[in-house]
Amino acid sequence: MASNDSLSDRLAFLRSRLFPDHVVGEIMSKRWIDNAIPFTALVLTIVVLGSIIPDFLSLSSLSDFSRQFAEFGLVVLALTIVMISGGIDLSVAAVFSLAVLFSLIGVNVYELPVPAVLVGILGLGMVCGALNGVLIGYLRLRAFLTTLVSLIIFRSIYEIVFVKMSTAIMSGFSDSDLWLFIGEGSVFGVPVSLVITLVIALAWHIVLSRMRPGWRLTAVGGARRSAFNAGIDVRLMVFSTYVASSMMCALAGFLFAARLGSTGSDTGVGLEVQALTAAVLGGTAIGGGRGSVAKAIIGSLLVLLLTNGLINLGISGPITSTILGAVLILAVFIDMRWQKHRHRILAKIYVSPTYLDLPPAPAVDAPGSPYALNDRLRSVEIIGLGEIEGPEDVILDRHDNLYCGTRHGDIVRFFGPDHKRSEIFAHIGGHPLGMAFDRDDNLLVCIGGMGLFQVAPDKTVTKLTDETNRSWTSIVDDSRLRLADDVDIAPDGRVYFSEATIRYEQEDWATDALESRASGRMICYDPRTGRTHTEIPKLVFANGVAMCPDGQSFMFAESWTCSISRYYFDGPKKGTIEKVIDNLPGYPDNINRASDGNYWMALLGMRGPALDLALKMPGFRKRMARRVAPDQWLYPNINTGCVVKFNEKGEILDSLWDLGGLNHPMITSMREHRGWLYLGGVSNNRIGRYRLPDADPNWCAQDAYWGAKP
Amino acid sequence: MIGALKEAWANFRGFDTTGSTVPPMDGPLRPNARLDAAPLLLAIDDVDNLTATPAGLLASVGAEIHQLVAEGDTLRIAATRTMPGAVTAMASSGHSLAIAIAGAGIQIEAEGAAPRMVSLDGIDAGHVTAMSFAGPATLYVAIGSARHPAREWKRDLMTKTAAGSVLRLDLLQGRTTVIARDLAFPSGILASGGRVFVSEAWRHRVLSLGADGGKPEVVLGGLPAYPGRIAPSSAGGYWLVMFAPRNPLVEFVLKEKDYRRRMVETIDPDYWIAPSLATGRSFLEPIQGGARKKLNMLKPWSPTWSTGLVVRCGPDMAMLESWHSRADGAVHGVTSLAEMNGRLMAGARGSGKIVALDRIDEGSAA
Repeated sequence: MASNDSLSDRLAFLRSRLFPDHVVGEIMSKRWIDNAIPFTALVLTIVVLGSIIPDFLSLSSLSDFSRQFAEFGLVVLALTIVMISGGIDLSVAAVFSLAVLFSLIGVNVYELPVPAVLVGILGLGMVCGALNGVLIGYLRLRAFLTTLVSLIIFRSIYEIVFVKMSTAIMSGFSDSDLWLFIGEGSVFGVPVSLVITLVIALAWHIVLSRMRPGWRLTAVGGARRSAFNAGIDVRLMVFSTYVASSMMCALAGFLFAARLGSTGSDTGVGLEVQALTAAVLGGTAIGGGRGSVAKAIIGSLLVLLLTNGLINLGISGPITSTILGAVLILAVFIDMRWQKHRHRILAKIYVSPTYLDLPPAPAVDAPGSPYALNDRLRSVEIIGLGEIEGPEDVILDRHDNLYCGTRHGDIVRFFGPDHKRSEIFAHIGGHPLGMAFDRDDNLLVCIGGMGLFQVAPDKTVTKLTDETNRSWTSIVDDSRLRLADDVDIAPDGRVYFSEATIRYEQEDWATDALESRASGRMICYDPRTGRTHTEIPKLVFANGVAMCPDGQSFMFAESWTCSISRYYFDGPKKGTIEKVIDNLPGYPDNINRASDGNYWMALLGMRGPALDLALKMPGFRKRMARRVAPDQWLYPNINTGCVVKFNEKGEILDSLWDLGGLNHPMITSMREHRGWLYLGGVSNNRIGRYRLPDADPNWCAQDAYWGAKP
Repeated sequence: MIGALKEAWANFRGFDTTGSTVPPMDGPLRPNARLDAAPLLLAIDDVDNLTATPAGLLASVGAEIHQLVAEGDTLRIAATRTMPGAVTAMASSGHSLAIAIAGAGIQIEAEGAAPRMVSLDGIDAGHVTAMSFAGPATLYVAIGSARHPAREWKRDLMTKTAAGSVLRLDLLQGRTTVIARDLAFPSGILASGGRVFVSEAWRHRVLSLGADGGKPEVVLGGLPAYPGRIAPSSAGGYWLVMFAPRNPLVEFVLKEKDYRRRMVETIDPDYWIAPSLATGRSFLEPIQGGARKKLNMLKPWSPTWSTGLVVRCGPDMAMLESWHSRADGAVHGVTSLAEMNGRLMAGARGSGKIVALDRIDEGSAA
């Protein structure tokens, strides 16, 4: 059995190294993943049609295709804009055909200058759109019915005018070069109409994804009431989408007229269904709030390829329409299922535990163990009971004032020497974690979810950094700081701080424990240049940091591997990492200096054999994450806290316990100050203070780092 | 075959077809803290089987049997005798007392007769979990598991064993009859009115059998905790203990063959992902997400490996009301009950306490 187990461990290890399971979840969490299905369908369509239809991808057919695409793409884009805002525009085809008709009347019959015709046509589109927009945006009529009615009206106008003018259009002729250029010319081999469409598409892409009006548009479609409450002029927004839509359709009609130079009784018939199919196929939501230019382009390419392919295959028009209708239904169905299940799939596959084989934990109850159990911390004095919640780290200044963060986003200062009175020293908004004083008495704070901040002695808050360099291989955006954890400062002022994980937010730290994946890192902020870069990537929940007295290295903790390492950022060993301790009995958190030249380290929780075994079985943890509610998951035992002292060689010198966690269930930090040890815990509602019997009663960390000051 | 395919598919998708969803504590089992509020009569570690006899209350602790007498509002140990092996269960019929002694057998003590030892065919008395007299000469014995002694109940559960049985001993003729077998840890037994009630712990149910084992019937099923010993109530009806709660993580581990096997092989049972009689004794025990202390508090509704739970049942074994000690409570692992002088004594083996439930005759529904 044992050999079988070691074999299966080996397999689990290899699998976790060879297959990056977490990548799947990270790709699924990207916004652009919505386009994956339409894009795959597009590629498949091209491959299939290209292989069964000869000349399908030839240059001559491409040129004609691109002109068709320019007109059709504009109409689809127009419809997409309206759909993103939560509406629908069925009149796109009617406006399109009106524009075709009046362009030809203007150019062929009355021989007006082409720019004037263009302006007139755009004006026509604006009027048609404004009609829809007023009715739907301001009078709050149903978009579907309203645009259905306007579709009928516009189409009727077309029929009436077309009957009267068709002969005149057929007999008329324009010799305008501009008209010819628009219809048949090209710029560097690209048809003019395609250039126009691409420019408009690019503009819309920038507006939708990068600019305020586009974001407001999406907000209106996503949640109309919330958008209203947020101060967006919903009615104006809706009105403008219809105006923009109809103007783009009119432009498409103008291009169509320039290309063909004639119109028929069936011009634009069924175009709205085609456009709707294209928009939905591309992934634009019918309910609004979701859509993009890329989706519109993919959708219109798909529909055009399909229709052209079917026509090439000799399939008659009505059957083509039927097939398109079926495709529309299928697209709606897939879209609905995808939207419904995407988050559930993501939630199930995002958590991706890896193999971790911890060395056997030291037996803490063995005779002579440096971790000998005791209850010394049970008798600590309590500071600020009930006044603070979540003091992850504590720090003291030269004047014995005690600072701690709270989960309400404050930094609270307790006035020394008795720490009975307190004030809110600064409000930053995120949960303050690790803290350090710099040479000029500024307090540097890591804020979970926000980054590295500085609070000056006059209480002004400055953001130092909230991003680092984006690494090339990471799929999640690792430039933002998600969980900056502990910080310390080198003698030359460089700030080294840890980020526990790039995959989870602060409240989900335990899910990262379940994964035990190397997704943390050590980051350096250089105040001289203002630049931030990742110093050590791929650490397993990088946590505590403490500068060594040599000024060239620091100690850092990796929680889930229960280890302490030393990193040299300067000097002859620059860039090397040395393991200092690799088998702690618990999960290390913050590290700070002790008065005797050694280091204090908090163990935020203790290892247990059940979890240690589970760490070797990633499949077990993955299934647990899927099938068991998070409150029922196996967790690191953080109900017992412990503080240990260690030296540079990694020897454990002392340990302080509160068994059963009566006073301090979870200890995440400790600071020695003038003979006392102050204790913080991220889920505690108090700070503890323990008298160190043999410590230097005058030692203050700020003096030890930066020299004594008055 | 189809069943196996369905199970494989369900396992792949994470569906639940095997009833491993833990039902909520609701209705008569609505949580409260009444067991924690019950007055403490005696603190005594590892107290197991309380038995009411005409001579007073008996309590077994390991190989010792203490005789307890009332002293004011509390109990006092009046006399103690030591048996040759660990006492796993006791039963009294009024004038006879049966004591199951591991390694020896079942000792029958009747008034005016010398104690005699009855042995069970091929099974050590250390496997006995509960006994009940039906008349002076008939003793029903619940054998938790043929594979594991009663004290290794955790191993029995986590190896998914179903090797329990119920025996009927005819004390006059010295005959032993197996009336039910292949039970998943029968942990409590009570003969009453011609029927035999048996708690089948690992299947979370209480059965009612005929006197000869015929016509088995599920009287309580789908329980959210593991049922244990049953005691008669003077008000008519029964008392039922549930010695440990079910837990979704345990149900999950029960489906995970590899992990479970390696856990059972390599880890001390105290630190298993498994139900327990007491929690929080060591930081090596596993904890669950909801059992983290927040602001120095363990929430009462935290997931836990152990609780205390006493249920009052009607004459038809339907649950009427319950007494709880939840995750943050201190009366965990109640394994036996005995009614005396209108008071119900509950022996919490996990927490090492005997507490009294008063007002038991009022019959107030929860």
